[in-house]
Amino acid sequence: MFVEDLVKGFYDIISKNKILILVNYDVDAICAVKILQCILRFDNIVYVLVPVKTVSELKKAFEEQKVDVKYVVLINCGGTLDIIEILEPEENITFFVVDSHRPTDICNIYSSSQVRVLTPPDDEEKIPDFEDIFNENESSDEDVDSDELDEEESDIVNVNSVEEQQNKRRKLDQTTLVKRRERRRWEENRKKLLFDYTQFSYYGRSAAMLMFDLAWKLHRESVDLLWWGIVGVTEQYILGKTERMRYLREVELIAGHIGRICDSTAINDDEDNMSQSSMPKPSNTSTHVRIESEKDLLLALYRHWTIECSLRYSMFTAVSLKLWTIKGEKRLKQILAEMGLPLAESRQMYHSMDLSLRKQFYGMMEKISNTHNLLQMTYPSFMLHQGFKTRYQCADYVYSMVATLETNSRESSPTQCFYNTMDSLSRSKKDFLDQGIEKAKWILSNMFRHVQAALDMRQVILAGPFYYLIVQEGTLHSQHYSNPHCLIMLASFALRAQVASSRKIKATRLPLIASATLDSDQDTCLVVGIPPITESMPRSFFGKAFEQVSNKTNIEVSLDYFDSSIAKMQTKDRPKFFDALTALLS
Amino acid sequence: MYCDKVIELLKELERSREDTIPPYNNDGINHVLSEMKTLDAEIIDLLRTQKDNLPLDAIRLRRAAIERNKRCLLTYIWTRIQRLKEMRWEIGAILPSDVRQNLSQSEIEWFNNYCKTLVSYMKTIGPDTGLNLTQDTKPPKSLYTEVRSLVDAGKLELESGEVLILRKNSQYMLSRSQAEPLIRQGVLEQVRQ
Repeated sequence: MFVEDLVKGFYDIISKNKILILVNYDVDAICAVKILQCILRFDNIVYVLVPVKTVSELKKAFEEQKVDVKYVVLINCGGTLDIIEILEPEENITFFVVDSHRPTDICNIYSSSQVRVLTPPDDEEKIPDFEDIFNENESSDEDVDSDELDEEESDIVNVNSVEEQQNKRRKLDQTTLVKRRERRRWEENRKKLLFDYTQFSYYGRSAAMLMFDLAWKLHRESVDLLWWGIVGVTEQYILGKTERMRYLREVELIAGHIGRICDSTAINDDEDNMSQSSMPKPSNTSTHVRIESEKDLLLALYRHWTIECSLRYSMFTAVSLKLWTIKGEKRLKQILAEMGLPLAESRQMYHSMDLSLRKQFYGMMEKISNTHNLLQMTYPSFMLHQGFKTRYQCADYVYSMVATLETNSRESSPTQCFYNTMDSLSRSKKDFLDQGIEKAKWILSNMFRHVQAALDMRQVILAGPFYYLIVQEGTLHSQHYSNPHCLIMLASFALRAQVASSRKIKATRLPLIASATLDSDQDTCLVVGIPPITESMPRSFFGKAFEQVSNKTNIEVSLDYFDSSIAKMQTKDRPKFFDALTALLS
Repeated sequence: MYCDKVIELLKELERSREDTIPPYNNDGINHVLSEMKTLDAEIIDLLRTQKDNLPLDAIRLRRAAIERNKRCLLTYIWTRIQRLKEMRWEIGAILPSDVRQNLSQSEIEWFNNYCKTLVSYMKTIGPDTGLNLTQDTKPPKSLYTEVRSLVDAGKLELESGEVLILRKNSQYMLSRSQAEPLIRQGVLEQVRQ
């Protein structure tokens, strides 16, 4: 069931008891949980927080922690699954689902009270009506009917003559036949509706923003909370989980929040200045934190990198300028020349560039973008100003957090990475953020090289209805792509690059599947599918397709991730799986 | 030189860390006491032998040395007791064995008495069960704190009677009074904001 009022239907209920929070491994979820924690801290509510990566981890964590728990909050996980069936909870446990994955499982939506979905339903979702999916009354009626029928029959046999009984039976047969036919028709309809509903997997509103709404309704919002909400929204945009229109709509809402929250702090600042005009200003940096909304360039991390690197390794510019070719390299130089940016300056860290160039940079890029196939280069974005020096764009946070979350190293476990990512949101722990930015640069430049190599070696292969790219084990830094987010980023980069470099129009309508080794010891691999670039809504049908393939063949495909377009399987099954998928989709 | 020994004693105490108690230097103290006794004997001797022209300066000197020794010894004992007192507030009524070994018999006695007095005083505060004064010596910023579990510690019963399961790599919000001992034991880690 959907929760209408976030405060009455969610917060007032959970704030009386100990709660269990289960969080998925993604940036949006981390931002959401960070906001929720902050809200809970006000009321001193005891909670247990467990990060979960896969469905099996979710089950395990729930089994371990379910003692004495009445309320469970699921953040970016579980919405697409039938929670009651999977977790088999006792009846007094209530689940609150904050999940940006769509479609929400139909059983969760129509659960009477045990599962409560916090995200309000979207018009675009087209949730099937209750009557079309569930028909408890009818089935139970039928059972009763047949029971009565049996009883009557037995009575009849004893009392009446055989003829009468036959007559009666004929009549009954006819009615049951009609009923059966109706039922069959209804079942077919149900199947179709369910298929239409679950066919595509996509993303809804950011969970972080929803949590910020809760904070707002409780009057507990602050600059930090808003910033975390913004990071959640930006993550969806940067990683291509949501379309531009929805992002712009969110941006408008956020702009309103900024006006409200940041203005009041600015007034406080002024008052401070007035009262202490003679004294030196206090070194309290917290009063200087403010968020500004401004248009920014779709260049990754350019404020913390050199202009040249950022232009080269950002997906957007790399694809539009085809930077993996020699011509592209020339084009990059040409752009720099047209902008009047000296090469020496462009190879310098942005913050040590000439001040006048830095100020003009945005304008220069905007001017250039029209002539060089770089439309939609700018997008509305937000900046966090803190004191005089540090400035972060929300996309910087996203790149840094993704990089921190998916650091593959022996010494730090995934949960450690999760907590590091969470800590990098705190303003007091900027080291984590800066380390993350360095890692993100490394990842982006490696990704570019990988795509370049893949295109040169023709590793993006056309297999009828889709492209596929296999990250060979043993290639440089290939183990890095065992993380779903990185693999998805690589996949969408590769697809766009492939489309840009091929001349066929058909290419724009094809999706891409990327695969990389997950665990070389267990010989498993990860497969992700991404929708074609012409799709206006980033909807992916691979979840359903993977499921059907695994049903039809005897390949063991485990759809263990919460994002259904990510699958895990044995490496030896992969060619067979691709064959089956080709057969299914063509 | 007079008073050398007692200064050494104090220096030894000073050189040790603030939050530790060095072993009780029984020999050193006995040495100082015997020095004081000899000084006293010398004074009496002087008074008895030279009744006519008293060597006042010599007597005054020895007298001053005795006084100084006394003062320094008191300082030695007092400082140790202060440290002991701090430990009672920080660690609690049960002292670690390494600290206990370093104490003299009378210090242990004093410590036990102090504990008794403190507990009986704390019992009298508040309506029924009393108030544990040692818990929050400074006002805490919040009653609850966020912690991360570092090991699989198993069940933990909360003050409300609910049971919580401590698992490695989970994060919890716990009341400060319950989290603090576990943080000291290294089971939990505090999350700083």
